[in-house]
Amino acid sequence: MFHVSFRYIFGIPPLILVLLPVASSDCDIEGKDGREYQHVLMISINDLDTMIKNRTNCPNNEPKVLKKHACDDNKEGMFLYRAARKLKQFVKMNNSEDFNLHLSRVSQGTLQLLNCTPKEDNKSVKEQRKQKSLCSLGILLQKIKTCWNKILRGSKEH
Amino acid sequence: MTILGTAFGMVFYLLQAVSGESGYAQNGEFEDAELDDYSFSCYSQLEVDGTQHLLTCAFDDPDVNSTNLEFEICGALLNVKCLTFDKLQEMYFIKTKKFLLIGDSEIHVKLGGKNITSKKLNIVKIVKPEAPFDIRVIYREGANDFLVTFNTSHSQKKYVKELMHEVAYRQEKNENDWMCVNLSSTKLTLLQRKLQPDAMYEIKVRSIPNANYFQGFWSEWSPTFHFRTPEITGGKMDPVLLTISILSFFSVALMVILACALWKKRIKPIVWPSLPDHKKTLEQLCKKPKKNLNVSFNPESFLDCQIHKVDGIQARDEAESFLQDTSPSQLDESEKQRLGGGMQGPIWPSEHAAITPKAFRGDSPFGCLAGSISMCEALVQPSSRSPDCREGCKNGPHVYQGLLLGPGTTNSTVPTPSTFQSGILTLNPTAQGQPMLTPLGSSQEEAYVTMSSFYQNQ
Repeated sequence: MFHVSFRYIFGIPPLILVLLPVASSDCDIEGKDGREYQHVLMISINDLDTMIKNRTNCPNNEPKVLKKHACDDNKEGMFLYRAARKLKQFVKMNNSEDFNLHLSRVSQGTLQLLNCTPKEDNKSVKEQRKQKSLCSLGILLQKIKTCWNKILRGSKEH
Repeated sequence: MTILGTAFGMVFYLLQAVSGESGYAQNGEFEDAELDDYSFSCYSQLEVDGTQHLLTCAFDDPDVNSTNLEFEICGALLNVKCLTFDKLQEMYFIKTKKFLLIGDSEIHVKLGGKNITSKKLNIVKIVKPEAPFDIRVIYREGANDFLVTFNTSHSQKKYVKELMHEVAYRQEKNENDWMCVNLSSTKLTLLQRKLQPDAMYEIKVRSIPNANYFQGFWSEWSPTFHFRTPEITGGKMDPVLLTISILSFFSVALMVILACALWKKRIKPIVWPSLPDHKKTLEQLCKKPKKNLNVSFNPESFLDCQIHKVDGIQARDEAESFLQDTSPSQLDESEKQRLGGGMQGPIWPSEHAAITPKAFRGDSPFGCLAGSISMCEALVQPSSRSPDCREGCKNGPHVYQGLLLGPGTTNSTVPTPSTFQSGILTLNPTAQGQPMLTPLGSSQEEAYVTMSSFYQNQ
């Protein structure tokens, strides 16, 4: 009995402390009502999607993009943060001005709506450098769109 | 005293320093500049030229010396930190695609690189839409209304798509009497009855963002459109409607005239039938078997007939002799007198007006039996001497026969007698063979003729 109480006193609190960052969200999302996303970001994402489809025919097997990160529950903010930072890598000189501006708007606008504590910057930068094809960009944009919809759906339910 | 004087001196000194009339200010230029009102206002126009946006700023005070002043915007920009405005006369503007459209920006007024004043604003909250155009008014005669349509360039834009429009119209002669209607679509219907007929109107429209995400100011008014309302159509009616109304009026008038003309003869007898006149009914019944009979209760019809008053005793003797000659029918003396009296014609109906009630009293009925009827016939015969009224007098006794019974039907059975209450002569034959000369009562003028014989004759 003494051993059981010892376990509870000294075992569980550290466990909670370790798991707390995993369970909690690192980012605060300001645009949860969806107005910024619906009136600005979504327009740019749709325009980019149209431009990508006009320029390339992407294969059925989707390239892996942000495979280590997903729009999990309580992780939406962090996913969007990483995705927005990755979008910057797709800004190139050989893209049209409108294309680059839309990319920048989605990236910068998303980051402006998030209040995140940056983590794992080095690893995410390396990963972003590897995948710069337009098909990857298209998939990334779809994931961003899906994650935003999930956030807005969740805010409506609450 | 000294202290008081010193205090007053210091007060005056401070007043001078504050007013600055002595030219004490160290940095006169800047202080002069700070005294000017550098307040300004801006508005944005999104996608005004393709994908380019326009931001325009101007000082509120038009007297501000803006010679060396610059405007700069920082924040909420794509890929850059700040952008500098261009100047056109007294207006500062910037045309760029690099607006983020999320978050606030800061606009700085600078003089020689130094920041004079700043203002924080959000570009999506100061949007001024472009003015609508191509406003038109079409009169729809079938619906009696005016269809107002106009166009706006924002229907093709991506960002500011939802607008609220305000349509203003007025009669040209009424200054400052604008009627306003708000709508979110580009079509409006104005009812004709709400406008003055045969009047000239002018109409214009402007827009404002629909206050969802983008907000801002009213646009400029569209160019004014003029239209005239049609005249009152009261004097000009539809020809078909006019024809129908005239025809219906005349038909109604005709029906009224016919109703008035035929009221007594045709309509009233049907609607309010009068009680049958016994005399006329009798005449009608008599006319049926023999249409050429002169049946009438009017004594004037028998003026041509020579009617002689028969003496009572002589009548009785004649009657008896007649009866012996023809048939064993029996007549009461009073009945003879009655019959004789009945031949007087004109006086006859009035004398026997009260016969029928006596019949109902159960007096011994006098019945002109078949035989007695022939007696009657015999009595009546002398009256047919006059050749002038032969026809009529022939009809008289014939009628009498018709009234009593048909010729040659003396022995026919007599149905149940029916009597009129109005005092018509009733013939009440009895088949029981009652004595014909049975006295009927005190009145010798009474004569009973029953209606049953009429049915027999028919």
